Amino acid sequence: MKRQKRFEELEKRPVHLDGFVKEWPEEGFVALEGPNDPKPSIKIENGVVTELDSKQRDEFDLIDMYIADHGIDKSRAVEVMNTDSYKLANMLCDPNVPREDIIPLTTAMTPAKAVDVISKLNFVEMMMATQKMRPRRTPATQAHVTNLKDNPVQIAADAADAALRGFPEQETTTAVGRYAPFNAISIMIGAQTGRPGVLTQCSVEEALELSLGMRGFTAYAETISVYGTEQVFTDGDDTPWSKGFLASCYASRGLKMRFTSGSGSEVMMGYAEGKSMLYLEARCIYITKASGVQGLQNGGVSCIGIPGSVPSGIRSVLGENLICMMLDLECASANDQAFSHSDMRRTERLLGQFLAGTDYVSSGYSSVPNEDNMFAGSNTDAMDYDDYYVMQRDLKINGGIVPVKEEDVIKVRNKAAKALQTVFEALGLPKITDEEVEAATYANTSRDMPERNMVEDMKAAQDMMNRGITGLDIVKGLYNGGFRDVAQAVLSLLQQRIAGDFLQTSAIFDKDWNVISAVNDKNDYEGPGTGYRVSGETWEKIKDIPMAIDPSDF
Amino acid sequence: MADVDVALLRKIVQEVIKETNDASQPISFKSEDQPTPATEAPVASKKVPAGMDAPKQLDWFKHVGPAKQGTAVDEVVVAVLPGFAEHLTENMTGLSHKDILRQVTAGIEEEGLRARVIKVYRTADVSFAGAEGDKLSGSGIGIAIQSKGTAIIHQRDEEPLSNLELFPQAPVLTLDTYRAIGVNAAKYAKGESPTPVPTVNDQMARVQYQAKSALMHIKETKYVVLGKQAEEIQVSF
Amino acid sequence: MSEMEDLVAKVMADMQNSATKSTDAPVNAGSTTPTASATTDGKELGRDDYPLFSKHPDMIKSPTGKSVTDITLENVVNDKITADDLRITPATLKAQGQIAKSAGRTAIQGNFDRASELTAIPDKRLLEMYGSLRPYRSTKQELLDMADELEQQYNAKICATWVREAAKNYELRKKLKGDN
Repeated sequence: MKRQKRFEELEKRPVHLDGFVKEWPEEGFVALEGPNDPKPSIKIENGVVTELDSKQRDEFDLIDMYIADHGIDKSRAVEVMNTDSYKLANMLCDPNVPREDIIPLTTAMTPAKAVDVISKLNFVEMMMATQKMRPRRTPATQAHVTNLKDNPVQIAADAADAALRGFPEQETTTAVGRYAPFNAISIMIGAQTGRPGVLTQCSVEEALELSLGMRGFTAYAETISVYGTEQVFTDGDDTPWSKGFLASCYASRGLKMRFTSGSGSEVMMGYAEGKSMLYLEARCIYITKASGVQGLQNGGVSCIGIPGSVPSGIRSVLGENLICMMLDLECASANDQAFSHSDMRRTERLLGQFLAGTDYVSSGYSSVPNEDNMFAGSNTDAMDYDDYYVMQRDLKINGGIVPVKEEDVIKVRNKAAKALQTVFEALGLPKITDEEVEAATYANTSRDMPERNMVEDMKAAQDMMNRGITGLDIVKGLYNGGFRDVAQAVLSLLQQRIAGDFLQTSAIFDKDWNVISAVNDKNDYEGPGTGYRVSGETWEKIKDIPMAIDPSDF
Repeated sequence: MADVDVALLRKIVQEVIKETNDASQPISFKSEDQPTPATEAPVASKKVPAGMDAPKQLDWFKHVGPAKQGTAVDEVVVAVLPGFAEHLTENMTGLSHKDILRQVTAGIEEEGLRARVIKVYRTADVSFAGAEGDKLSGSGIGIAIQSKGTAIIHQRDEEPLSNLELFPQAPVLTLDTYRAIGVNAAKYAKGESPTPVPTVNDQMARVQYQAKSALMHIKETKYVVLGKQAEEIQVSF
Repeated sequence: MSEMEDLVAKVMADMQNSATKSTDAPVNAGSTTPTASATTDGKELGRDDYPLFSKHPDMIKSPTGKSVTDITLENVVNDKITADDLRITPATLKAQGQIAKSAGRTAIQGNFDRASELTAIPDKRLLEMYGSLRPYRSTKQELLDMADELEQQYNAKICATWVREAAKNYELRKKLKGDN
């Protein structure tokens, strides 16, 4: 066919590199309202759920059983199931109905009912509901801190940098698994240098991750994955009961944790049972609730390309965040995966959570350029900082971070790198040279860093685990090396574990270790003039972008 | 045409259905009142759907009985997943399974060790396949390779979802990478601590290939047989 | 390409496996309602008592009996603090559970009640127990033995019930050792 020139030009646009797939419901390639999704139903006999979403108890798989026995408030279930979904949907986005009146209803629904309610909402209505339903009044966001070479000095400097920008939670992972102990201590020391009170985690295999936490190398965990079909759950090497047990293990050590799920994972892992992505995701959210876990990271997450490839997929992803909030769970709302080649489209991806505000708009925002992001790239990265600041300022939105001055960043990066250098020396780990400290201070990416001997580092990391080094050894190393304030911050983090305040829903700390959670900062949105409003010191900081011209200079 | 995923969907379906309709035919300016026979796409029912097609008979990839427990400390087991070579033939970026396997085994042999290839059936998951492979491996080191190309180096006694090295982004793997994976696995088997195969991070690869990856993986899962023991494969290149 | 879509749908419909779900006898809800006794003076804590760290520092003790205010840099440097002093106690977890319940989150209280039992188990054994609950790791008897261990050795009754419930369901859904 002879090509039409405009079509030829359009085909060169970045959006044409994205993956789009027509709906294929039999394999789960459908966002919501799948033809094979079950009809909502519940039957309770003698306090036992005997029918759940059109399935009889003797047909239940592990997930049905777990949700039926632990995940639904049975006291009002029948009443809620008999309530028209349009009425419930209306209550969700009506500012006049306070959050605390809705939670008893939404926590008594079945997964299929929750999906049915969500399917009644358009995108803007979902945003209105999100603004009201997120548990914590004050929105926030989370950072990724990683690099291609697992360079610990760079991790420390980048963590300090991100902490200064206001990320209250930071997550690292490894390029090579055996680096995990180094990454964990580097992000912790860096973050506490940048701003005391930041919670840090290291995403690795479940058992190793817990063991890092037990030693005081991490403060929380997030990548505790749950899935919506039994087969995929099994391929994830867990069951609802093992995950529920793991949740209690974390709490027993004073560690915060949330689960992770996200639509598309079942399709990605090949066993979607012909159900829609949102229905399967709803099951994950109910598993989280049933486990007594305080929160969930969801919203496509690393499988965002799957819901992103089908019609209404990005709407459905906001819908899954909303179900999470409806179950009164902390919601870390994804936006954490490279999603599109098109800048317009990745902004589209961000908007729902960014404008409405969630507990963590992104989980996380890549605080390094995406080439160093070992979560395979995030939706927004360090190169987007200034655009993000301007969006916050233009729309008067608190997207979770604040502009910073270059000299402040240089200082704090340098201090973090030096603090880590001191700790490495105190713990007898491979030397961090002054050259590395200098490079990390000014680095943008790992290409700006000198090479380290990775084999030696990995051996030392393993040896550090074998020697039984704990967070206390790090505190001592920092103190003896002259970093008294950083030592105090790391100790304060360990101290908070004894109190357990940050185990409550949606908890973060400010720089003075005041906990801010859905218990003492509950979302009280009831229309204009209520709920969270950007104001005071935060607004002054958001306004103050270095690129703005000062009229008094003229 | 940059429409990667529709193209792939088409490719998968082509194995099931005989496509007679060529999308690149010239456009007709005639009025549309006559039905064009080509769009009715007659289904050729001879082909069987994914999961029910018989494995291809290959002269370079022969089954020689159930996979045995290895005792030789100088072997590395290479576990391929159920669809590999016999149902799917190329990874996500079009590298042939034969070339991939040739490079991995060459890498192992380059280090003076022996590669033993098995096919696992009870899982389509690369980590679990790796864990099954290393248990059978005399050295305790196993490599697993999915049909879509994702690979792992796994060591016995690790949790299934742990790894020595994981290569989750198939689109960035080249034949050289596969060879390097073989080399490193052999070095681990010899008790060495090699520098990990350099990680290539292409953050847009997942964006571009995720849907395709899912489609290929779905197909792989169709060949999983729960409870079925792995089989020994004799390869000849 | 809608014709292709239709073809895909048709082919896939043919491939749909018939349901092979086992239909075992119904089991009773294994959900337990823990009887959390109040931690202080018989009075349940509420959301107004939160955060404990600033409002009730006197209530927060380490397992070794140290007060949360003893966790100072000086004491650490003088080796007066060990890793055991930095662990949460069952009492504090119970208190946080009451706060969660008062904020409307009884499920979290259930989790904290299980957690309070698990504080007694050494790290290494706890990691092993988690491993035993993962799919295809344990026989039914091994799980039941673990439940007994939890109950008898660590007085972890809620967790023991949890593991027995898992064992029952793993058997039904074939997630025991050798089922894969």
